[in-house]
Amino acid sequence: MGLLTKDIERAPCTVEISHKFESLHAHVRFNNGAVIYPGDEVQVKGPEIMAPFGEIVTEDREAVIFRASKLERLWTRLTGDLEVMELCEFSFSEEVTL
Amino acid sequence: MNAPVKHTSDITDAEESLKLQQSQAITDSDGATELAMQNTLLTPRFYTTDFDEMDAIDVTPVRADWDDLIAQMVSDPNKGHFKKNADWDTVDWDGMEPQLKKEFIDFLVSSCTAEFSGCVLYKEMKRRGNNADITQLFQLMARDEARHAGFINDALREAGIAVNLGFLTQKKKYTYFRPKFIYYATYLSEKIGYARYITIFRHLEANPEHRFHPIFKWFEEWCNDEFSHGEAFALLMKTDPKLTSGLNVLWIKFFLTAVYATMYVRDHQRPAFHKALGVDPDWYAHEVFTKTSILSQQIFPITLDIDHPRWQRGLERLQKANVDMAGAKGLRKITAQIRAAAAFVSLFTIPSKKHQVPASVRMEPAY
Repeated sequence: MGLLTKDIERAPCTVEISHKFESLHAHVRFNNGAVIYPGDEVQVKGPEIMAPFGEIVTEDREAVIFRASKLERLWTRLTGDLEVMELCEFSFSEEVTL
Repeated sequence: MNAPVKHTSDITDAEESLKLQQSQAITDSDGATELAMQNTLLTPRFYTTDFDEMDAIDVTPVRADWDDLIAQMVSDPNKGHFKKNADWDTVDWDGMEPQLKKEFIDFLVSSCTAEFSGCVLYKEMKRRGNNADITQLFQLMARDEARHAGFINDALREAGIAVNLGFLTQKKKYTYFRPKFIYYATYLSEKIGYARYITIFRHLEANPEHRFHPIFKWFEEWCNDEFSHGEAFALLMKTDPKLTSGLNVLWIKFFLTAVYATMYVRDHQRPAFHKALGVDPDWYAHEVFTKTSILSQQIFPITLDIDHPRWQRGLERLQKANVDMAGAKGLRKITAQIRAAAAFVSLFTIPSKKHQVPASVRMEPAY
């Protein structure tokens, strides 16, 4: 990883999407132990994975990890906190009018 | 006489719900039914944090309270709760006043996204952590959030809105939050969430004619989950006194002000929703702030002075500046931004109320 250069890695992953009444969730697990750092971007390859209502879909896919450069990682660590209010739940979207 | 048509509200699980919805759409092909549904792409955000710092948390100082709380969450008292039953009345979506419908759907989609994002965040912490106490907690919270999201999702389906979970195949960036910011923000979010839900629930208990959708009947147990999650974050903060002292008190004040102010602004942007509930948003805000302030005294050494004359005035100025900002461009926008910033500073600089934090953190939902 360079100061300004981005690396691209490929990682096998398992995607689980649950579209059930009891649980609505979607998760990606990297199967080679790859770790995501601040500023990295991840994209699961292949067509959109859709779970029909009432089902859980689990698929093995390949994910591409676009590693942030050293500078970008540092920047994300320094500025990420500014967006922390996103973690709060306010029941409504921020749109002023609908 | 024909047998009464079963309503989707009579179902208790996904499979049955699906079967019923399909059977009711006999004039439609499955594909057309899906097309007719308005598609809403859920766009949760993805975060990383300092996982080593989280692994280093030692819950020994609060062990007894911690074990009690975890045992209660493991026993899962709300497991059977998020099922539709006879209380789920038929909803007249077509007869709903259009503005109310828009605002209510915004409420459902936003709430579903928030629960879903919470689930993603908690699951990530569970997966990346190595501390058994912490990972167990996050696993349990992820379970609750996914359950809430599923429940809201079903209400959305009834309104003809399908959530799309296809976001994973889009490129997404992971941002970074310091653990302590996650604690402050999520603790407050869970506690204010409890206060918001219980206030509406009690109001509708007293004024059932305003209950325009059955989902409000589920708010009581729902908010008890929020309450326990808040308790867990309070205990986490209690393990390290530095988190609630010194300069961090200023961060706490910042989060309290930002969360209260954002709630005020957002609620005032949804007048039809509040009118239908028979709730005055100013009364509601004051009620929720009062409850949240009392609750947060369990861990935060300060509360905001919400009865200070500058408080309400500041909120109103912020709300007005926010409205002006949305419709403006250029200089007018910049002026509105400056007004919003000034209003926030005015709120933030109101002297806070200091108090003694109790030795034991744990509370029970009492409203």
